[in-house]
Amino acid sequence: MFPQFGATAESLSKASTMVFRIGTDAHLYDDPDDVSIAPLLDSKFDSEKCEALKRLLALIAQGFDVSNFFPQVVKNVASQSLEVKKLVYLYLLHYAEKRPNEALLSINCFQKDLGDPNPLVRAWALRTMAGIRLHVIAPLVLVAVGKCARDPSVYVRKCAANALPKLHDLRQEEHTSSIEEIVGILLNDHSPAVVGAAAAAFASVCPYNLSLIGRNYRKLCEILPDVEEWGQIVLIGILLRYVIARHGLVKESIMCSLQCTDSSHSEKNSSDVDFGLVKESRDMSGTCDSEFVNMVSRCYIEGPDEYLSRSSYANRVSFELNGAQFTSGKSNDDVKILLCCTSPLLWSNNSAVVLAAASVHWVMAPKEDVKRIIKPLLFILRSSNASKYVDYIRDPDRRFAADTVAAIGQCVQRLPKMTHICVDGLLALIRKEFLTNDFGSGDQEAGVLVQAIMSIKSIIKQDPPSHEKVIIQLVRSLDSIKVPAARAMIIWMVGEYSSLGVIIPRMLTTVLKYLAWCFTSESLETKLQILNTASKVLLGATGEDLWTFKKVFSYLVELAECDLNYDVRDRAHFLKKLQSCNLVSRGPEEGTNGLPEKDLHVVAEYIFGRQRRDVKAESINYRFYLPGSLSQIVLHAAPGYEPLPKPCSLLPDDLNVPEGTCSIKKGAADYGGTDGYGTSSGSSDDEEESASAYGSQRSITGSSGGSRGDDSEFTSEGNDNVDPLIQISDIGNASENENGVSQSSTNLVELMSNRALESWLDEQPGSSNPGISEQSKVRKSSARISIGDVGRRVKPKSYSLLDPANGNGLKVDYSFSSEISSISHLLVCIEVFFKNCSSETVTEITLVDEESNRALDSADQASVVDESSLLSYDNVPTLVPMEEIASLEPGQTTSRILQVRFHHHLLPLKLALFCDGKKLPVKLRPDIGYFVKPLPMDVEVFMDKESHLRGMFEYTRSCTFTDHIEELNKESGDSLLIKDKFLAICESLALKMLSNANLCLVSVDMPVATNLDDASGLRLRFSCEILSSLIPCLITITVEGKCSDPLNLSIKVNCEQTVFGLNLLNRIVNFLVECVLF
Amino acid sequence: MLQCIFLLSDSGEVMLEKQLTGHRVDRSICDWFWDQSISQGDSFKPVIASPTHYLFQVVQEGITFLACTQVEMPPLMGIEFLCRVADVLSEYLGGLNEDVIKDNFVIVYELLDEMIDNGFPLTTEPNILREMIAPPNIVSKVLSVVTGNSSNVSDTLPGATGSCVPWRAADPKYANNEVYVDLVEEMDAVINRDGVLVKCEIYGEVQVNSHLSGLPDLTLSFANPSILDDVRFHPCVRFRPWESHQLLSFVPPDGEFKLMSYRVKKLKSTPIYVKPQLTSDAGKCRVNVLVGIKNDPGKTIDSITLQFQLPPCILSADLTSNHGTVNILSNKICSWSIGRIPKDKAPSLTGTLVLETELERLHVFPTFRVGFRIMGVALSGLQIDKLDLKTVPNRLYKGFRALTRAGEFEVRS
Repeated sequence: MFPQFGATAESLSKASTMVFRIGTDAHLYDDPDDVSIAPLLDSKFDSEKCEALKRLLALIAQGFDVSNFFPQVVKNVASQSLEVKKLVYLYLLHYAEKRPNEALLSINCFQKDLGDPNPLVRAWALRTMAGIRLHVIAPLVLVAVGKCARDPSVYVRKCAANALPKLHDLRQEEHTSSIEEIVGILLNDHSPAVVGAAAAAFASVCPYNLSLIGRNYRKLCEILPDVEEWGQIVLIGILLRYVIARHGLVKESIMCSLQCTDSSHSEKNSSDVDFGLVKESRDMSGTCDSEFVNMVSRCYIEGPDEYLSRSSYANRVSFELNGAQFTSGKSNDDVKILLCCTSPLLWSNNSAVVLAAASVHWVMAPKEDVKRIIKPLLFILRSSNASKYVDYIRDPDRRFAADTVAAIGQCVQRLPKMTHICVDGLLALIRKEFLTNDFGSGDQEAGVLVQAIMSIKSIIKQDPPSHEKVIIQLVRSLDSIKVPAARAMIIWMVGEYSSLGVIIPRMLTTVLKYLAWCFTSESLETKLQILNTASKVLLGATGEDLWTFKKVFSYLVELAECDLNYDVRDRAHFLKKLQSCNLVSRGPEEGTNGLPEKDLHVVAEYIFGRQRRDVKAESINYRFYLPGSLSQIVLHAAPGYEPLPKPCSLLPDDLNVPEGTCSIKKGAADYGGTDGYGTSSGSSDDEEESASAYGSQRSITGSSGGSRGDDSEFTSEGNDNVDPLIQISDIGNASENENGVSQSSTNLVELMSNRALESWLDEQPGSSNPGISEQSKVRKSSARISIGDVGRRVKPKSYSLLDPANGNGLKVDYSFSSEISSISHLLVCIEVFFKNCSSETVTEITLVDEESNRALDSADQASVVDESSLLSYDNVPTLVPMEEIASLEPGQTTSRILQVRFHHHLLPLKLALFCDGKKLPVKLRPDIGYFVKPLPMDVEVFMDKESHLRGMFEYTRSCTFTDHIEELNKESGDSLLIKDKFLAICESLALKMLSNANLCLVSVDMPVATNLDDASGLRLRFSCEILSSLIPCLITITVEGKCSDPLNLSIKVNCEQTVFGLNLLNRIVNFLVECVLF
Repeated sequence: MLQCIFLLSDSGEVMLEKQLTGHRVDRSICDWFWDQSISQGDSFKPVIASPTHYLFQVVQEGITFLACTQVEMPPLMGIEFLCRVADVLSEYLGGLNEDVIKDNFVIVYELLDEMIDNGFPLTTEPNILREMIAPPNIVSKVLSVVTGNSSNVSDTLPGATGSCVPWRAADPKYANNEVYVDLVEEMDAVINRDGVLVKCEIYGEVQVNSHLSGLPDLTLSFANPSILDDVRFHPCVRFRPWESHQLLSFVPPDGEFKLMSYRVKKLKSTPIYVKPQLTSDAGKCRVNVLVGIKNDPGKTIDSITLQFQLPPCILSADLTSNHGTVNILSNKICSWSIGRIPKDKAPSLTGTLVLETELERLHVFPTFRVGFRIMGVALSGLQIDKLDLKTVPNRLYKGFRALTRAGEFEVRS
């Protein structure tokens, strides 16, 4: 109204903000570098230091790199002012990893602060010291954390718990047992706040060490309601895992109610679910649900990766949970107490806690108690869907209305009582819709109409006889409905229910005549459907009508054969052939088409006459993953996703081992019998350093080592040559640990480590030279070899696609091929082997894509097959059409190369296999190992690429490898040279890798160690690039352990595409630990 | 666990980044995110899978809080935490906007550093945070201008971090001990076109403002707790007494907090009625809406408003009322503010809508959203029986209030 007033108000508010901004740090953020920061940092006034630090912080906030101030900032760590300290810490944490050398300067100060009487100072020092993440100081941090874990202040103990994952991130194996020991101590803390943080540490440090939980289980449950909300979320998950690992699933719960009640039944079902499409009919819904739950519970426990990779059903059945893996929720106290302690958490005002508690109940609670979780979960959403849907239909947003109509359909399927009301409502809606539709308010109206008819269709499907009148009404309204999809659907209904009741058959002649009359003006979809319907009617017809139908049908076919669209023409030809027996009056010329007429009739009957099974509307993808997990939302296994543990995998014996002996044993295993531990672990722990520092790096380190004495060189040195420091430190660590790892009295250790560091800091220039030379000597003694003959022995793993039992004697296997598709880089090549195990010839075998059929579901599924699989979907088809196998004699084998585009690297692809005119649904399970192709390169290129893919692009996991033992044992009869032992290991490893993934072996590094039985230091490098994006992916495997024992492998993947890289890593670990089955 | 938190302004500018773990997240992820959120338009997704990271986002008062992770974690935990950060910042800075965050970036950094350690929440209780890091206030600002020196970082650790009631600041002292309990309720209702009440429920909160010395132990009881359908509690509420006797037993945090929230379902009536009538004929639609008191709650109903979206097929609208003011906003929302209902007449809105030329009559009907406020009454009927304090200080003042307003109150036509 008064623009000028508005302007004043605006400027006024601006002015007031200006006033408001006085005294804040606004000017520091706006112009952080309008004064010279360096002198301020050196000022002797705290306030000036503060200002300088705030300016630096502002620059960090805005994304500038101010790490060049690092040395000056570090000096201020000794300041007495807490504000300066805090700001320095903030800066330090941001840049410490970039400037490790200078960061070391602050360590002494932290050590001093750790002894400060003020708990806040102690806590900050610990947090920062652990947060700067330097390998060199890890032993010091470990000691500090151990000390702080016994601190009188709760806050400090909590920070100690948080520091453990930071230490663990450095992946120094020798510290693992000590870290776990501290986790145990903190889990046993009497303060709920500490327990919460300790639970988080447990989850990230040692989630599998459930025996730690077992010791304190009761106490943890009791303390749970008092733990802070964030800790509760994590702790609930841990307790659930523990109970399942210890006691198994609960008999009364939803998860296993089925497997228990009738295991033979469920066994039968599990084989039916894939192959039973044809057999099962409408009454499937009940069993389908149970099957579904069955699958869900398996997925929770096994993880989808494993679940989907199960190749054959024999395997799956063997996993059938046996009775011993169940416990009763009523008699088991551990289960009871968990449920009891989590149920009040359903009242928490943190929704994450509610969801975590609810998921415990979902998995563990007796069936009848599960409903308890519904209300709290709904309360989170703050809405109830109890109201009647009818009111929404008038909503102005027509898309919403369409959804509503679909919801009504689903409602009815669940609540049969409502059927009549809903159908009446929908019919009224349709009548109204086609009235209003004339006014052309566009696509959305059409959407509502189609949806309404679809809903009716699904309702009718449940019980056709009682809805006869509905069908008649719809048919009557056919004239006024103009939307092609809706028309097509009604016509489909005519065909499908042509023999239903008494009135419909009588109407048929009229309807068909009407359809024939308007055929030419119809759209494609409707035309196809009219043809289908006509042939269906024809099949079911008897008596006098038959003649009329025949006439109408031949008229229609004639029309269709002249159609502009080739799909329609195609369909017409097809149907003409098919129905030839009905059209031609029976005469002597039997079997003109090479097939007996009777067979043709059967085929036609089969295609058109059978009942259709409900297609499950709901996507089950998201049920693969545990409720409330990130994976459930993003629909793939996020890195670090773990399914529930295997029931009863934790034996009671594990719990009885006292902690002390446990860790000592571990220590002994680590250090026992390895003379050259210091050197060999140095090269294997830090594989990336040794990998990249190999050649040219030496000269740099040599020169910097010499001039390390003066300070200026110290600061100006880049980040590149951190390697020598870390290598030295590793030696230091190892020796330090040999002395100190098993000691629990802190004083001595602290003294020692303190001294060690100081002496190291003092002696740095001098000591670095021998260190380097020693390291490089070790390196030099490793040799590179090549294994030439591995390629020949690679045999890809074969999976079963179709069992002869289910495929009438046709056996179909597939294996991923290393061939690269020439059509599109999105396609994966798969070799499919067909074998006829029966005694009769199998004909017309072909594989087509199921999904694209479903897209045209409104139409008749079976007969749309041919054209739909050709339709492109995102330009690249899901399945490049396969050359049909005309016939396969008994015992004959043939193979085809299939090019497939998987939509997801975990979810199976549904295909349909046609043979002898029958359709068999099959599932093709993807293997991420073949979503890549080999990328040949030499070692130098590999190293170079690797050095660019550090940090977040690098992931490591370790596992044990046992394949070689068998190999070695097999050959142990011959007098085997030690060298050959290594070779055997290399070969079995390389073979395993190349048989399971499409990789290129780049190099094999072999140690020429003093200890002949020690395979540590063996390293294999593989390279590949991702098919879809052509991003390179590097894999390094480092071996540790004795030749004749199971080897510890550490697998490292460097890849720019994080999610893919991690999934590939998981896959590699999975198949490496898998045993070979001969 | 979370790897990094970014704060983005409403124009997509990265105002702050806080790295939490050793796995540094490049801020280019924000550009990706911003492009994505622009191209996605309205569909707001709190969890996004980017090529390199999983992102959680929370938007509050125009500021986007973005957190990144690469590993599995409960997504709700990430979102709840971001909400908590947003709440704390908003409380500290008196609202959120681009300027206020930039002006106080040091405090934001200090708060973030205290709230999360290595990607896992550390101290999130507002009371404790306030003791560790002083909120900016006028005194400290003036002081900093005058002396050029002020620290907002506390030198000592708040005692509460170690106590068994971590939400309560240690030993505050008040000359006047006061505790106020407010019942704040929102009525969600749906009335269909026949005037039938389809859904009517109350979403309520018990808000407490406590200024009590020492370590007070309070017990709050309701006269009719059985009417509560769903409840959620502040962490300070002990579960046992509620399970056994429906008593709220707690040691309150200092200051204002939300003690519990609850829901009461299946109420039988609404305080006011709204009767819309739309009759369309020959390209025109006559609108007539009547509003009046249905069940007198005994207190005055004020701030009554009525809003509805005009159907898209309307060319022009001419609407007038006999009471209050009618505005048609640019996005075709008609807003009628009534205020209080006068004694002598029933407010009504009348007028005609002109439909698009080829349209004979209206076939989509608007939904009317109703707003109102009633002071002094909790419409759910929930009544506080008494509030007991275990050790009663010499001067204690207890106050109770109630308020009901409309939540999602919809009338269909």
